[in-house]
Amino acid sequence: MFPIVLLSVFGILLLFLGFLKSRAILLPAALLFLLVSLAVNFIDWNKTYLYFNGMLLSDNLSMVFTAIVLGSAFMVVALSGSFMEDESAQPAEYYGILLFSLVGALMMIGFENLIMLFVGVEILSVAMYVLTGSDKRNLRSNEAALKYFLMGAFTTGIMLFGMALLYGATGSFTLGGIRAYAVNPQVGLSLLFYVGLLMLLIGLLFKVSAAPFHFWTPDVYDGAPTLFTAFMSTVVKTAGFAALFRLLSISFSGVYTFWWTILAIITTLTLVAGNITAVYQNSFKRMMAYSSISHAGYLLIGLAALGQQTKQAIVFYSLAYSVATIAAFGVLLLVARQRNAETITSGGSSSESFDAFNGLARQNPLLGFAMAVSMLSLAGIPLTAGFWGKFYMFSTAVERGQIWLLVVAVLMSAVGIYYYFRVIIAMYFREGATAPIRVAPFYRYVLVVATLLTIGLGIAPGLLEGLF
Amino acid sequence: MNTSYLPSDYLPVLIQLLLALGFIVTTMIVTHSVGPKRKSQKKDDPFECGIPVQGDARTPISIKYFLIAILFVLFDVEVIFLYPWAVNFKGLGLTGFIEMILFMGLLLAGFYYVIRKGVLKWE
Repeated sequence: MFPIVLLSVFGILLLFLGFLKSRAILLPAALLFLLVSLAVNFIDWNKTYLYFNGMLLSDNLSMVFTAIVLGSAFMVVALSGSFMEDESAQPAEYYGILLFSLVGALMMIGFENLIMLFVGVEILSVAMYVLTGSDKRNLRSNEAALKYFLMGAFTTGIMLFGMALLYGATGSFTLGGIRAYAVNPQVGLSLLFYVGLLMLLIGLLFKVSAAPFHFWTPDVYDGAPTLFTAFMSTVVKTAGFAALFRLLSISFSGVYTFWWTILAIITTLTLVAGNITAVYQNSFKRMMAYSSISHAGYLLIGLAALGQQTKQAIVFYSLAYSVATIAAFGVLLLVARQRNAETITSGGSSSESFDAFNGLARQNPLLGFAMAVSMLSLAGIPLTAGFWGKFYMFSTAVERGQIWLLVVAVLMSAVGIYYYFRVIIAMYFREGATAPIRVAPFYRYVLVVATLLTIGLGIAPGLLEGLF
Repeated sequence: MNTSYLPSDYLPVLIQLLLALGFIVTTMIVTHSVGPKRKSQKKDDPFECGIPVQGDARTPISIKYFLIAILFVLFDVEVIFLYPWAVNFKGLGLTGFIEMILFMGLLLAGFYYVIRKGVLKWE
């Protein structure tokens, strides 16, 4: 609750800080605000409170999710130094919108009432539409923003319709009220209930880009400025899965037999579509978009096989995924900027293709190593956090006895190894003329911390156990 | 809450629906069949006001118009909140007053931001 209030105030403050002559204060201010919000998040630790007339729940799980979201946002913002050099950028507004969007994400994490979920989804999505199109002179960015907006608005409508139907069936917007209806129906569940549940699921699955609602993802992730792509693929995904988990585990666990097959089919589709298509990409950024679809698939396994371990699996997986993704995008930002500077003089291939990474590790060992570790983690190689994330996810499927889902997931992660290793091969074994890239100190810290976290959680995954 | 409705309880909704639909269909049929028809170049213009048509509708319009329109809606909607608050002022008491001050403060902060950004400057 405290982070929500503070972030709202801080967002306004940042907008007004933008009126100062010097831009230099904005980045430290945004980082400080995020740190403060992260710190006050833990005030209610080990206590469970309902806030705002029972609209929001604050318990250990929601606080852990909040910490992951705010931590990812902190790292993304820390990578945003390049705004200060760009004349046409408006950093105060970007940071303000980022903080406001986090408010939406936190509402999605702790909602106790469907209205709150809707408001949270809207706050987060509208902010993302704006940030996607923030590169105003870039045609791809405009296209991405328009696509995202039109499709997002449409699915939000479907989701809202689903909520209305659920209300019609159950007479309640609260999670507890819906649960009471689903667990103990007087006459049998009404058809409205099932339709409403499906529509609500469609809306949320669109936001986390699960197949067959994933078609917007590659274009939007590709068109948006890389920094905001990193934000979208970590914060939005984590918040979306937190919301899905809350909804399914609290309200709809009574009708598990109804939705698990649907979710299992969607999981399979997502895994296959994401991984197979990623193989054919030539642009690294586009590959990361498909990779984010496939990771949505892995996260969905835990929901399709909802059980005791799901909570822990989702928390661990989102943390591992977020850290690795931010590191990967951080390196991409630097490499792409370097390549862009070179292209102006020599004229070469696209700055975001796999070729851009050729020979990177020789001159820039730190960047190469950070990228290699994050790719290994995303591929799920042992001794990285990604391995344990997949391990926990797959064991939920085993717990529920969904062996065929497990088989698909394992096969698809084998496919994943192929495209993640393309980057590593390009960096370490290909020839390429890469000048040493200057890395700002703060930028370096973020990459180092992300790499250490990935390896640390890979060696000692038990660190997080028992936290919530 | 009464949850046991019979299908016949929804009859008013159906009647309302049919009435709305019937009104549209009737007016369209009546206007097409009763009104006089004079076809000419000028009559087929999309907007008949005596002034010649200039280009098509897809001309770029200054972003300022949109900004003003959005700001108008924003500050207009704010007044909607003020009315019920004013009516219930005594009942809401001090808490209601503080909440309204907070709301108005946020709104004024937004207004100040808009002015500082130069949205209302037209030159």
